[in-house]
Parts: sequence; C-alpha cells; structure tokens
Amino acid sequence: MAKQYAMIVQVAKCIGCQACTVACKFQNEVPDGQYRTKTPAIGPKGTYPNLSLFFEKEACQMCKNAPCVKVCPTRASYKNEDGVVLVDVDKCVGCKYCMTACPYDARFTNAKTGAVDKCSFCYEIRVGNGQKPACVSTCVGGALEFGNINDSNSDAAKLLAKYKAQVRKPEFGTIPNVYYIYEGVK
Amino acid sequence: MDITWGVSASHHLPWHWLIAVYLFLAGVSGGAFLTAALTDMYSKDHNIRIIRTGAYIAPVSIIIGLVLLVFDLGRPLHFWKLLINVNAGSVMSIGVFIISIFSGLAAVYGGIVWLASNSGKRITKGVHAAADEIAATGKGIQSLRKPVAILGSLFAVGTATYTGFLLSAVTTNGLWHVPFLGIQAVPFLPILFLVSAMSAGLAATLIGAGKSEITIYKKIDLVFIVLELILLAILYASIKSVFFSGTMGTIFWLGVVAIGLVVPFFLTVYSLAKHKSVVVPVSAMIVVGGLCLRFFVVYSGQMFK
Repeated sequence: MAKQYAMIVQVAKCIGCQACTVACKFQNEVPDGQYRTKTPAIGPKGTYPNLSLFFEKEACQMCKNAPCVKVCPTRASYKNEDGVVLVDVDKCVGCKYCMTACPYDARFTNAKTGAVDKCSFCYEIRVGNGQKPACVSTCVGGALEFGNINDSNSDAAKLLAKYKAQVRKPEFGTIPNVYYIYEGVK
Repeated sequence: MDITWGVSASHHLPWHWLIAVYLFLAGVSGGAFLTAALTDMYSKDHNIRIIRTGAYIAPVSIIIGLVLLVFDLGRPLHFWKLLINVNAGSVMSIGVFIISIFSGLAAVYGGIVWLASNSGKRITKGVHAAADEIAATGKGIQSLRKPVAILGSLFAVGTATYTGFLLSAVTTNGLWHVPFLGIQAVPFLPILFLVSAMSAGLAATLIGAGKSEITIYKKIDLVFIVLELILLAILYASIKSVFFSGTMGTIFWLGVVAIGLVVPFFLTVYSLAKHKSVVVPVSAMIVVGGLCLRFFVVYSGQMFK
C-alpha cells in the first residue's frame, strides 16, 4: 500500500510555546515576517469560571483533493507519491491562483524567491532521511505526531485509531491529512 | 501581529487591483472586438468609425491587461513557463492560450483595419507610386479581414468568458463559485462577465464613434443593461449578504448598479425618445460600472470567502 504521510495535532497537549513556529523558521529559512506554520491562541473565550483557551497549529493541511494542485497552471504545485503536497519552485511563476484556492490560507509568496511557499512536512530535508518534520521533533508538549497513516503500526495511525480526530473545514471536501484531536480541550 | 497570543498574522488578499483591472480590460477588449467585427461583417451601414475604434481598442486593452498580469506575478521574468508547463485541468493554463491567440488575432485585425483606412487615404490623394504599392499589399491582406474577424470573434467570446471561468473554478470561494440559479453544472460568473464584457466593450467603442448614427447600438446596449440587472438580481439572491457589506457594498450599489446600470438605462431611454445624444457620458458610466463589477467580485470574493 502506498504511503500517506499525515500530521496529528493533540490540541490539549499544546502549551502555545511556539517552538514549532521557530523550528520551522530555521529549518526552512523562511523570510522575515512569513510563516509556513504558526500556532495562534484561540480564545480566551467565555467568562470565569467557564473560560476556554487553546492553541491551534496552522499550516498546509496536505489535502488529498488539493484545490491548489487542481488550479496550478504550471503543475508547480503537485502531490507526490507519499501523499505530500509540494511546490516545485522552478516551475512556479507566482500567479497566486493557488493562494486564492486554498481555504486554509496556508500559502504565501516567498519574499525572497517570488514563488509560492508553504509547509512541506519537511519532506525533502528531513522525512527523506527518516526524520520527522522539524516542528514535530521540537514540540515541547508532545502535541505533534507524524507518520504514515496507511501503516497501522505507526504512532500516527495508532493515535487516529485511539482518538476521535477532526479535520479543518471538511465542508470543502478537501480531505486534509492534518488531523486535530480535541480530546481534553474544554 | 502577535502570533503567540493574538490572532494569526493578518493575511492580505492574494489578488488585488491589478487582477481586477486585468479582468476588466480583457472584457473590454473582447466586447470591443465583437462590436467591430460584427459591424464589419453584418452591418448594412458599415459604420467605419465604430469598426475602427473597436478594432483599435481590442488589441490595446488586452495588451495593457497582459502587461499588468505579468507585473502581478511573483516572478515576472518566469512568465514564459506558463507556455511550456501546461495543466489541462487548470482554467488559467487553458486561458493563457485563449488570451494569447486572441491578442494575436486582435492585433492582426487592428492592423488590417488600419491598413485599409490608411491605404484608402493614400489612393485618393494619389501622392507617390510607393503609396500605390502599399495599397496593393494592403488589398492582398484585406482578403484575410473576414476570416480574422470570424476567428477573432470566437476567441473574443472565449476571452470574456474565460475571465469568469478563472474565478468560478475556485471551488472553495462562495462568491466566485456560485452556480447559476442553483444549477451546479453551470457557473454564474462566466455568464455575468460575458454580458458585462459585451456591454463595456460596446460602450468603450461608442465613445469613439463621434457623431455617426448609432441608434441600433444604443438599443443593443439597453438590452445588455437589462440582462445585467437581471443577472445581478440573481447574484444578490444566490450569495450571502456579507459579500455586499462595507466598502464592497458601496462599490456594488453605487458603482456597479447605480452608475453602471440604472443611470445609463434611464439616460439611454431618454436619449432614444428625445433623439438627444448623451452617448459619451452614458458609455463612460457603463465602462466605470464594468470596472467596479470586477473590483467588487475580485475583492469581496476573497474578503468573505
């Protein structure tokens, strides 16, 4: 069976430390003021004693039905054999059509190259060497997991089997490969 | 922008005014070409001022539009990669070829019309032998005039419709992807942009028509205005009201509806009834309305998608 890499975010374990944001910045040399991933606070909502605050990691959702791949006029945005959506910088002309199509605002024009940029699951630089993405490796609270979910022995697949996971904006039919587990979030 | 505690970084819209102006110019170009070509082929009066104005507006506006488009790219110098890397599933990839072919045909047609009017002058003046020579080649090229007009008309419709398909293909956008009367297979924007393009292109051409007899064109524009009003009523009923809020609401109601359609409608009816010419202000208003429509759709679609 072909691989399908996915990321699992256990929202309740995230303490909002932004180590993922920083790790991504230096692993991928993302220009100043731009982010492949960021983890904003959601809340605080409500009033004491019913307050709620959690952090939700944002990045490319690695959709199975990726709207960005469909609209790209040069095939610069593509999905590889392991189910990862990537950008071939050499083919990208910077038309931003993919950015208008992405419902997650996960893409931006790289200030240095002019090409579109986004999370790659650190596919070329880490996953190929058997490592996990920089954000996952560095995560302080152990909130992030990564792996091939078509392999039922992977940690990622086990988490999905154990908990009820959600994807962002399922109404668009994009079938993302970033899963959010809200178990324990009040 | 405090990503640690605050909201996520404020995202600016991927497509801004350059794209709105480009979509508008592509529409005007298509509409002007059709106005000229159809007059050239079918009109008994054969209004030369209309033909000439339309034939010149078409290549000029599409080429300005394409230049704007290239400047809007993140990597303008890589634009040629659009021509060698093709994605048949991408509307933009197909559109690159439709617009390129149309630009070529519009330029050729403009050239043919220019040669015809120029060589005509030289023959009547009968200045030099060289001028007669130019006239002779001019006549040879004139045999291309009809085929170029026919082929160009097809691509003019293609270009105007494409500007709508470009946006309607974005399935994740509530405004751009809205279907026509709820029929999922029929996207709304290509229809709206085609009608608006014809209307704005015709109006732009009439500005240059001078004092010639244009009653028939005014009547055609009246039909376009009514069609567009009906289409906008359908759009208003089909999408969330948030798309019409704030500045976008002002652009829609004041720019698109009032200045672009309602006032031109009454002024055109008045001018037809009283045989008074208000063609320049009316046409200018229609053109402004067409521009406002592209701004409204491009911005509102991204702001409230």
